[in-house]
Amino acid sequence: MIKVFQILFSCFVVFALLSVYKRKTEGLLGPKGLFFWVLFWLLAGVAFWWPNSTTILANSLGIGRGADLVIYVSLVIIFYLLFKLHIKLESVGRDIAKVVGKKAIEDKK
Amino acid sequence: MFLAIVPAFNEEKNIGSVVRDLFNRGGVDQVVVIDDGSSDNTAEEAQKAGAEVLKHRLNCGQGTALQTGHEYAKMVGADFVVHFDADGQFLSTEISEAWEYLKDSKANILFGSRFLNKKSAIPFLKRVVLIPLGRLVNYFLGAIPLTDPQAGFRILDRIALEKIQIDQPRMAHATEILVKTKKHNLKYVEYPVYVIYHRFGQNFSGGLKIIKDLLLGKFVK
Repeated sequence: MIKVFQILFSCFVVFALLSVYKRKTEGLLGPKGLFFWVLFWLLAGVAFWWPNSTTILANSLGIGRGADLVIYVSLVIIFYLLFKLHIKLESVGRDIAKVVGKKAIEDKK
Repeated sequence: MFLAIVPAFNEEKNIGSVVRDLFNRGGVDQVVVIDDGSSDNTAEEAQKAGAEVLKHRLNCGQGTALQTGHEYAKMVGADFVVHFDADGQFLSTEISEAWEYLKDSKANILFGSRFLNKKSAIPFLKRVVLIPLGRLVNYFLGAIPLTDPQAGFRILDRIALEKIQIDQPRMAHATEILVKTKKHNLKYVEYPVYVIYHRFGQNFSGGLKIIKDLLLGKFVK
């Protein structure tokens, strides 16, 4: 049963890596983003095929179980992505405000 | 030319009298009202009273409206601008004397203050909690030390107008202006003004939003 999940997940990782590559070729992803997402999916693949790897890493960091490490790291990543998203939204909002201001001036000219 | 910049959002009841007062008692040459996406007749009322009206299609916030006013001021070649609220909380009669004071002091920017020798009826919570907190936040963000940390009444000369670009779209612009005054080494003065409270204004959650906006502003490019 586990093998089936591992194979399914591997297909998913390959699909995810292909979509990362596609976004890179379309110019939607920078070098930092490419590095992050390739590393992320490769590590996820390694963790799925070799579950003990997370436990070894967790023990070396003083955390008892590999699953706990995965949860902690996931939380950090999720909070970071939320923060980035918040900044992006704010940035888009400010850009819209600038356009609205410029349009008001242009309408007056 | 002395231009009054009045950001307004749904102020159809007050804007006409504010604009007329600015012309009759404020000593300004022109009034520009930035209608910040109002859903009422603010723009029409301001126009009827003799103001130039710039219309924001969306409600973007007071900071953006003031920056639009700055762009307009540069376009028409204004020598001085005054920031004036649309809800009638400032007295237009104080503009002329404040303007004279600014010119005599050879400063670039004048900030109105509720805490000098004129005593406004400031709500207790605002006076005892929010304003001291505002001073503290301003101090940590590197703003110039003013008696009134959220002064909305300001007069800027052409140099200040060129140097101060308002990037904060909402209410955090008040602190941003103080930070940029320091950053650009602009000479500033404070001048006592009355503020008449028709409504409470910024409450505690509004203050937190300002802090959030200021912190976010550090990360937004």
